[in-house]
Amino acid sequence: MAGLLEVRNLSTHFSTKEGLIRAVEDVSFDLDAGETLGLVGESGCGKSVSAMSLMRLIPNPPGKIVNGEIVFEGRDLLKLGDEEIRHIRGNRMAMIFQEPMTSFNPVMTIGRQVAEPLEIHRNMTRNKAWTICADLLRRVRIPEAGKRLQSYPHQFSGGMRQRAMIAMALACTPRLIIADEPTTALDVTIQAQLLELMKQLTRDAGTALILITHNLGIVARYADRVNVMYAGRIVEKATVRALYADPRHPYTVGLMASIPRLDQDVKRKLRPIPGQPPDLLHPPSGCAFHPRCRNRIPVCEIHRPALEKASDGHEVACWNPVREAPPCC
Amino acid sequence: MKRYITGRLVYTGFILFLVSILIFALARLLPGDPIQAAAMINTDLADKQVIQDLRARFGLDKPLYVQYGIWLRDFITGEWGVSIGSGETVFEMFFNRLPVTLELFAGSVIWSFLIGFPLGIFAALRRNTWLDAVLTTTSIVGVSIPVFWEGIVLIYLFSVVLHLLPPAGFVPFSESPLQNLLSVVMPTFVMGTHGAGLFARYVRSCLLEVMGQDFIRTARAKGLSEKAILITHAAKPAMIPVVTVVGLAWSYVVGGSFLVEYIFAIPGLGRMGVDAVFARDFPVIQATLVLVAMNVLIVNLIVDLLYGYLDPRISLQ
Amino acid sequence: MTMDEETVSSDIRQAGDSEKEPAPPEFETGRREPRRSLRTGIRPILYAILHHKTACMGILIILLLTVMALFAPWLAPHDPNEQDLYHVLESPSRRHLLGTDDVGRDLLSRVLFGARVSLFVGLSSTVFSALIGIFIGLVAGYKGGAIDMLTMRITDTFMCIPGLIFLLVLAAALGPGVHNIIIAIAALGWTGFARITRGQVLSLRQLPFVEAAHAAGASGWRIMFRHLLPNAMAPIIVAASITVGGAIMLESAAAFLGLGVQPPTPSWGEALRVGYSYLEIVPLFSIVPGLMITLAVLAFNFLGDGLRDALDPRLRGEAQKIV
Repeated sequence: MAGLLEVRNLSTHFSTKEGLIRAVEDVSFDLDAGETLGLVGESGCGKSVSAMSLMRLIPNPPGKIVNGEIVFEGRDLLKLGDEEIRHIRGNRMAMIFQEPMTSFNPVMTIGRQVAEPLEIHRNMTRNKAWTICADLLRRVRIPEAGKRLQSYPHQFSGGMRQRAMIAMALACTPRLIIADEPTTALDVTIQAQLLELMKQLTRDAGTALILITHNLGIVARYADRVNVMYAGRIVEKATVRALYADPRHPYTVGLMASIPRLDQDVKRKLRPIPGQPPDLLHPPSGCAFHPRCRNRIPVCEIHRPALEKASDGHEVACWNPVREAPPCC
Repeated sequence: MKRYITGRLVYTGFILFLVSILIFALARLLPGDPIQAAAMINTDLADKQVIQDLRARFGLDKPLYVQYGIWLRDFITGEWGVSIGSGETVFEMFFNRLPVTLELFAGSVIWSFLIGFPLGIFAALRRNTWLDAVLTTTSIVGVSIPVFWEGIVLIYLFSVVLHLLPPAGFVPFSESPLQNLLSVVMPTFVMGTHGAGLFARYVRSCLLEVMGQDFIRTARAKGLSEKAILITHAAKPAMIPVVTVVGLAWSYVVGGSFLVEYIFAIPGLGRMGVDAVFARDFPVIQATLVLVAMNVLIVNLIVDLLYGYLDPRISLQ
Repeated sequence: MTMDEETVSSDIRQAGDSEKEPAPPEFETGRREPRRSLRTGIRPILYAILHHKTACMGILIILLLTVMALFAPWLAPHDPNEQDLYHVLESPSRRHLLGTDDVGRDLLSRVLFGARVSLFVGLSSTVFSALIGIFIGLVAGYKGGAIDMLTMRITDTFMCIPGLIFLLVLAAALGPGVHNIIIAIAALGWTGFARITRGQVLSLRQLPFVEAAHAAGASGWRIMFRHLLPNAMAPIIVAASITVGGAIMLESAAAFLGLGVQPPTPSWGEALRVGYSYLEIVPLFSIVPGLMITLAVLAFNFLGDGLRDALDPRLRGEAQKIV
C-alpha cells in the first residue's frame, strides 16, 4: 500500500565549534494516511530534529540534512526547491510546536496568525479567511471564537494558545501534522483535553499525526505505532500493542520501568535508567546505549547493531534484546 | 493604557521638576551671581550700595526656596531674563533662532533614519558575512567619530577641495530654498551620524534577535517566504525596541547641534549656547539648559507613548 | 506613583528580553552555559576577546596609544613646545614629517604628546565616574524603596541634559584646565554606571547566594561589596570601556572650544581648534589630531563591543547559534 510518508536513511548533522553533532543518523520509517506515529525518546535523542528535518526547517548553517529521502505524497521533499517546499509547509504538512508561549507573534492578533496559512495557500481574502478562522477556533473549543480572533497572544492562556496552534495547523486540512511535544509545557489536566481534541480532529479529517514525546503513557494512549529513538537513531519500531506487550530493546524496557503507573503494585520501585543521556559530540562506540545497558555483552562496545525484525511489525536494534516478558506485566 | 499614559506624564513632570532644581542649583553655584556679572560689564553698577539694592530688587537676598519660586515663576511666564552680552531678552533670542535649529534637527533625523535603517537591515540579512562585518564596523565608526572632526573633514573635502558646498554659513529658506538646502546638507549629515550609527547597530541586533525566535519558526512552518516573514512577522517586533533608542539618538542630535552650529557658523540655538558659554552669559546659559532638558524629556515622553501604543502588551492593559 | 509605572514598563521590556532568550534547542550540546562571574572564568573570557576581531583591533590601538603616551619624549623628533617662527604652517617635510603648526612647533611631536592628555583624562575621569556610579547603584539597588526611587530619578534628571552641553556649562563654571575637565566629566559620567550597577544588583539580589549571605549574618555593606559587586562587574567593565571613549571625545570637544586643557600643553582637541582656522593652507594640522581622537574613541568602543560579546554568555550563545 502506498504510504503517505516514507523516510529513508535520513541523516541530519550540525557543525558546531566543538565538533560535528550527528543529531539524526540513518533514520527510516513509514507512515500511512490517517495513522498516528509516536516518536519517543529522552530529550536530545533527535526526535525534534527529525521532525524539523521533515519540514526542512533545520537552520542551515549550522544544521544540514546530509543524506536520505523524505518521500511525501510521492515526492522527495529533499529534492524540492524553496518555493515548492513552502507550498507544502502549512498546507499539506503542518506543525504544532512545544512552546505555546513563544510560538506566536506577540504583536499580531491570533486571528491574523491563524488565518495566515489560508491566505497564502488558498489565496483567500482576509475576510473570508477570518470566517473560516472563527469556525476553526470553535472546533478547537475556544469560547467566543469570533471575538477571540481580535485578541493578542498574551491575552490567551497557555492551553488556549495551544488550541489556537492546533487550529492554525488544521487550517488548510493538511495530510500530516507533526506535533512536537505539544503538551509538555501545559498542566496535566489540560494535556489530556488537548490530546483528546487533537486525536479526534485528526481522526475526523483523516490526517496523519506524528506525535513526538518523551512520555510513553501518551504514546500508549494515542499512537498506533511507535519509534523509539536513542542518540539520533531508531532503536525499536513496533505497533503500540507489540511494544507494550513485548518490549525488546533494553532502553525501551528502561523507559517503561521508569514511568510510574497507577495500575501497579505501589511497592514496586521505579527504576530510572542509570547514567546520563549520551553526549552527541562524543558518542559511545558500538551501540550508543551500551554504557547504560543492563544486557550489555562484549560485542555491544565494538559494533553497532542494525534494526532487525523481531516479529511481525516489530524491529529492534540490539545484540542482546530482552526476551522475557518484563516484570511489570 | 490610560494608566500607562498618566504614569509617563507624572514621571515626566517629576523629572522636569528635578531638572529645574538642578539647573537652579547650578545657576546659583556658578561663580558670581547675575548682578555681579552685570557689574563687571557695566562699571556704574560697581558701587556696593547699588549692588545691594539690585540684589534686593531681584530677590537675591531672600532664602533659596523663595528665590527658586521666583525663578520658576519667571521662567513659566516667559521672563527668561536679559542677555548680558547683547541686551536682548533671552525669550526673543530663543524664538529668533528656533527655526534654524529646528530645520537642522529635522534634517539630521532624516539622515539618521535614511542611513541607519538600511545599514542595520542589510547587516542583519547578511549576518556573519564580510558585508555584515563592514557595515557593523562602519556603524561603530559612526558612533565614535567626533562631530567636530567629521565636520572639518567634510568641509575640507566638499568645500576646500571639491568646491561643491559652502564651507559655512546659513541661508534662510525664505531667501533661497536651494542655497538653504546646500547650506544645511553637511551640518545635518554630521549631526545625524551618531544617530545613524546607533540605529544601524540597534536595528541589526533587534532584527537578529527577533529572527531567532520561536514565532519566526512558526511562520516558516506555515510556508511563508523569508521576505514575507521579514515584513509581516519580524519588522514590527524588531522596531518596537528600536523606538526606545530614538530618545538616545535625539540627545546626540541636540548635543551635536552645539558643536556643529559652531563649526558651520550657523545662527541657531546651539551657537547661542556656545557663545553664551564663552561669554559667561548666565541668563542665556540657564535658559538654554532648561530648554534642552525640556526638549529631551518631551521627546522621551513621545517615544514612551509610541512604545506603549505599538506594543499590545502595554496598550491593551 | 511613577514608580509603579516605571517598573511596569521596564518589566515589560525585560520580560520581552527574557522571552527572547531561546530555549536551548535539543540539537545543541544541551548544557546551558552558567552565568559567568569574573572570578571563575578569566581564561575563557580572554579567549573570547582574543578571538574577537574588532576587540583585538581595539586592544592594538590602545596599546599603540599607550606606547605613544608613555614614550613620547623618546619617540618625538622635536621638543613639542619648541617654537620656530621662521617655519610656521609648513607642509610635511623630512624635517617635520607632519609639518608645523601656527607657531612653528613640530606637529608630529605634539600629536605624540597629545596622547598623554587624552588617555589621562579618559581613564581618570572614568575611574571617578565608576567609583561614584557603582556606589550609588549598589546602594540604590540593594536598599530599594524610596532611596532607589529617588536616586534613579536623579540619574534620569542628569541624563536628560546631553553630556556635551552639561560639560560646556560645567567647564564654563569651573574654568578651563585638566583637573576641572576631569571633575566635569566625572560629574556627568556616573549616571550610566549607577543605572547598570543598580540593574545588576536588582537581578542578583533575588539569587539564593545573597539569601545565604544574609542567613550567615553578613552585613549590608559586606553583601554589597563582597557578594553583589563582583558578580555585577561584567557589564560595568563593558560600560567602563565605552565611557573611556566617551570621555576622550568630551575632553577633546571641550579643548576644541578652548575650554579644556590650556596651551601650551599639547592636546589633540586644542590642535584641532587652532588647525581648523588654517584648514585651507595646512589641512594636516587639523586632520591628523582629529584622526587620533577618532582612533582613540573607536578603540575603546571596539574593546567595549568585544568585552560585551565575551562577558555576556547569553549573547555569546546567540552568536553560537547563528554561527
